Amino acid sequence: MFDAFRTPDNVLVVGGSSEIGLEIAKALAKRGSSNFLLAGRNIDQMAECANEISSTSKTRCQVAVVHYDASHENSHSHLLAAAKDELKTLDYAIFAVGLLGDQMVDEKDPVKTKEILDINFTTQAMAILEVANHMKEQGFGQIVVISSVAGVRVRRSNFIYGAAKAGLDGFSMALGDALAGSGVGVTVVRPGFVKTKMTSHLSPAPLACDAATVATATLKATDNEKSSIYVPFAIGIVAGIYRHLPRKIARRVPF
Amino acid sequence: MTNELISGWGRTQWVRSQIQKVSTPDEVREVIQGSGKSIIPRGLGRSYGDAAQLSGGVAISIAEPKDDPVITDGKTTLSAGYSLDNLLKRIVPKGYFVPVTPGTRYVTLGGALASDIHGKNHHLEGTFSRHIESFVIVTPTGTHLVTENSDPDLFNATAGGMGLTGVVTDMTMRLIPIESAYIKMETSRLRDLDETLATMAGSDHKFRYSVAWIDLMARGSSMGRSVLTRGDHAQLSDLPSQMAQDPYRYDAKAIVDAPNFIPNGLLNNLTVRAFNELWFRKAPSYRADEIATIASFFHPLDMVGKWNRIYGKRGFLQYQFVLPDGQEETLREIIDRLSTLQVASFLAVLKRFGEENEGFLSFPRPGWTLALDIPITNPELGSLLDELDQIVLKAGGRIYLAKDSRMSKEIFEEMYPKLDKFKEVKSRVDPNNVITSDIATRLSIS
Repeated sequence: MFDAFRTPDNVLVVGGSSEIGLEIAKALAKRGSSNFLLAGRNIDQMAECANEISSTSKTRCQVAVVHYDASHENSHSHLLAAAKDELKTLDYAIFAVGLLGDQMVDEKDPVKTKEILDINFTTQAMAILEVANHMKEQGFGQIVVISSVAGVRVRRSNFIYGAAKAGLDGFSMALGDALAGSGVGVTVVRPGFVKTKMTSHLSPAPLACDAATVATATLKATDNEKSSIYVPFAIGIVAGIYRHLPRKIARRVPF
Repeated sequence: MTNELISGWGRTQWVRSQIQKVSTPDEVREVIQGSGKSIIPRGLGRSYGDAAQLSGGVAISIAEPKDDPVITDGKTTLSAGYSLDNLLKRIVPKGYFVPVTPGTRYVTLGGALASDIHGKNHHLEGTFSRHIESFVIVTPTGTHLVTENSDPDLFNATAGGMGLTGVVTDMTMRLIPIESAYIKMETSRLRDLDETLATMAGSDHKFRYSVAWIDLMARGSSMGRSVLTRGDHAQLSDLPSQMAQDPYRYDAKAIVDAPNFIPNGLLNNLTVRAFNELWFRKAPSYRADEIATIASFFHPLDMVGKWNRIYGKRGFLQYQFVLPDGQEETLREIIDRLSTLQVASFLAVLKRFGEENEGFLSFPRPGWTLALDIPITNPELGSLLDELDQIVLKAGGRIYLAKDSRMSKEIFEEMYPKLDKFKEVKSRVDPNNVITSDIATRLSIS
């Protein structure tokens, strides 16, 4: 259940070893959330995350991990089954699966391309829908989807990842519309460049931030039931301008 | 059956739920047996947090009857769906008053029993359930007519049990006779906490009704300043001749509704402090023998309909705790912390409680209770309240479930030592936990 401050009791993190997911979970634990379920591929890494979450917890929280591989058939229904098993109610679900890939390599390989699209969009959309339908039945809930500014206007330099995020973003925003008045909220978070292990091989872009900043902004957004946010705020203005540039000019912008 | 997005009075936790209107015990039984879903009774939704709601389940609401109450020997048997508002309109002109009323008329009798409410007369006359002779309750295991003697455990689990033992459909209540629809009131403006506590402890017993409005924004030497109003039902001889000609004239309604759209943050430190200042200054330093109407004395906030909207989209909570007698220093510490942090709180309510009753989850115990409304702002406010919970717990006090929307289950369990007793009864009458609610899930009450 939620309390009056919209702090949930029970939290599901899909992409259980994602740094952004971890930071949001830690921020919730600090506020008093008591049960967490991390779902992802890397059990060892998730076990470490679990330790980190429980050590930031205000009281004594429980953190469980479950193996979730989105490429397996029916993985979305296994995910929901695990969440129902581990959590008394499914209050707050964070979808933070992300695979950046390597554009220059992947665009030459349709199989690689499909993998990037699947992980970032298709399988995640299935899981989000599964959770959303359950929450609708339950009568309340909060879904957080980690999108990206890369999906606002898809750029040449990472158009596979960007297109997947664009799909995820549109899907989630409209799902939020579909769920209006149902007691279930969807919040789409669009970070700019976040300094994490996923981006460690890249040099930070302007307005780069860290995962903890994304977490703080995310909680503020879900507290206020916002449908979407940019992190940092200024990246939204940049993305908003860039999105409407004539294509010929946009093509020449060097990022 | 309708499907609605509902919340408590604080407008903080919104959930979808089915709402089923019923009138008779048989209809309640049909819903319990036929719906295949969990169930909670819901009256007028005036509990502040998540007590009268059940996400994804069915909220049973007893239809408000239109018939006039029949009063025999000062007692009356009524549907639990009766609101105090409706009831007062019908019994005050007949020379009767309800034994206990909270600060609003807009509660049902069922809700009043479930929260085992208290009023300005608790220091002398206890909670609502003390004046209930019997009630009819529909549980998943059957329909029972319960008195304090026939099934004391079920009686005491239901009084203050937040509707979790079953759906009460009717009850027999002892009313109190009155000579007029007016209150003879005394007002005292008290300059600080010392004076407030001393005055209340010293002479509250001389008045049937007593409550202090305390300014929690006042700091330094005026910390804890208050306006204390106390009174008794006016007798015919107290009334000026014009009133005495029609002593039972009772007219209570909301004058205006709060507007629908209110910006967040309208109630901030500045506006609330200014309001409190005005409120304090407009009160006379001392005035006795003033004649007030029942509505203005007991239910001043009911003059504005839907006033919970003024807290904006994020809503508000009420923090209400009780501290035992002898814990005045703890009370001072809490008030000091709230006033130092300038938590934007409209005049808070301070009141003395009398004897404790047997309700397993009933809130009152002898001592002091303080209730304050707080707009939901940042989560740090939550941490402050968590710290206050600890202080209240250590001092032997507790938090009122009808107001709660945020305490932890660990704190709750320690504050209510008769919880085991409650759970025992609960599992007897509802072994499959069909009757449940969001607060029950949040605090693991059942």
